Amino acid sequence: MAVSGSARGAVRADLDEIFRRDYQRVVAVAARVLGSRDHAEDVAQEVFLSFGRSSVPAGEARGWLSVAAAHTALNLLRSGRRRASREETAATADDAVVSDVAEAVITLEERSVVRAALARLPRKQAVVLVLRHSGVSYAEVAAVLDLSPGSVGTTVRRAESALRKELNRHASSN
Amino acid sequence: MRHPTEGVLRRLLDEPAGVADSDRQHVADCPVCLDGLAASRDDAALVGAALATDAGARVDLDAAWRRLSTAAGGTAPGRAAAARRAGPSRAFLRRPGVAALAVAVVLAGAGTAAANDWLQIFRTEQITPVSISAADFIALPDLSAYGDIVVTGDDEPHEVPDAAAAAAETGLDVPEVSTLPQGVSGEPVYQVGGEVSATFTFSAERAAQAAAEAGERLPPPPPGLDGGQVRLNAGPGMALMWSGAADIPALVVARAVAPTAFSTGVPFETVRDYLLSLPGLPDDVAEQLRTFTADGSTLPLPVPADEVTTSPAQVNGEPATVLVTRDRTVAAVVWVEDGVVTAVAGALDADEVLSIAGDLR
Repeated sequence: MAVSGSARGAVRADLDEIFRRDYQRVVAVAARVLGSRDHAEDVAQEVFLSFGRSSVPAGEARGWLSVAAAHTALNLLRSGRRRASREETAATADDAVVSDVAEAVITLEERSVVRAALARLPRKQAVVLVLRHSGVSYAEVAAVLDLSPGSVGTTVRRAESALRKELNRHASSN
Repeated sequence: MRHPTEGVLRRLLDEPAGVADSDRQHVADCPVCLDGLAASRDDAALVGAALATDAGARVDLDAAWRRLSTAAGGTAPGRAAAARRAGPSRAFLRRPGVAALAVAVVLAGAGTAAANDWLQIFRTEQITPVSISAADFIALPDLSAYGDIVVTGDDEPHEVPDAAAAAAETGLDVPEVSTLPQGVSGEPVYQVGGEVSATFTFSAERAAQAAAEAGERLPPPPPGLDGGQVRLNAGPGMALMWSGAADIPALVVARAVAPTAFSTGVPFETVRDYLLSLPGLPDDVAEQLRTFTADGSTLPLPVPADEVTTSPAQVNGEPATVLVTRDRTVAAVVWVEDGVVTAVAGALDADEVLSIAGDLR
């Protein structure tokens, strides 16, 4: 595998520098997917552990880390979706007892709908959407995912349209 | 002037400087594009709000670095494997077709006794799709981590001048399309490829090392598996291609000697059950694949479930599989008859490919 060229146990020498430069961004990408900074930091730790043992060229590190963060967080979202949704339902019920926080409850529900929809999107659409909303430029998204800048716009547009439809459907069913 | 694509309109919201002046000018004067731009802006704002997080707050870098240093200095991190599999590992994807096909064929076979010589364990008589998501497809075990794969004869397919040359090189009957579908005309281009053989030699040492690096425990290999070999043969084959307006061919008719597999040294079922137990094979896929072992004649065809739908059909009385992309731009039908696999595919609908397949001479 191209990304696991280092000897077992050895950690690349530039890890410290790249970690300090890119950790915040990796957390931000994962948090867009998961909606929670705590879980996002767990994902970032996993991604940097993997990166530390890899031989990804330093010049490609930022793009690699962002894509790995999106994939790892989406995997977590997919595997943990049922559990998370049960937890959020329980949290919602608690809030409802306290009462006048209807708006917060709706937001929580909407976020849960968005996360469920995100998990159902074709993987490439989800990754492109998350990277773009994390502030990664069209040129950089195109470069790390081997796309043309034109198709980045199209992919983002389709993903946003799909998520909006899910939100509208959810709103009209309530 | 044509309207700019929805992708260009979307980029105009984020990076107007990245959009050509002519497109910007067009949008400014075009009510249709201005409507599209407004819809795009609304969706972007809605999704942006829904994805908003509190991650903008500063993280505690020093605490995060201490946590990473502790984990990296300890034993191999178990959960890092998921991140590595998810990373954009191009080498891993280099031969996904060969790796996936080798896994699929090995899993589908049904050999019996151990033998010193090559023993045929599998002969394709049918093809059945196995739904698999694109993410799972990438996560299929990379066989090169568990031993050596030697591929021979995988030279690029090459063009030959006519049907007679294709028949002479492959030894196969060249399919003849009696009636071309509407919009397809002219003579096809003939391409042929030789026999491909992939031999996988299992190495217990390599497998253990790969598992350790991934932080996962390798199930103990059964006795006799170390050094055991599985060989997959496929081809020769040919493809007849009629060009279309876009970059996808309007019609392709392909025919090849169907895959067969052989093993040495260990009972086939030993290899199959062991591969099924390796980390990385999704449980549901393993479960599906296990059901294909009854007579060793059904080749599971891994299909990306989020891009392609499949349905059963018949071609001249043989069971066939129809595949249609979810955007309905491409359809294909594939079936096996007397050890030869034939496929008809193109920018057509399912009825059209079935009609062409039924009329092949």
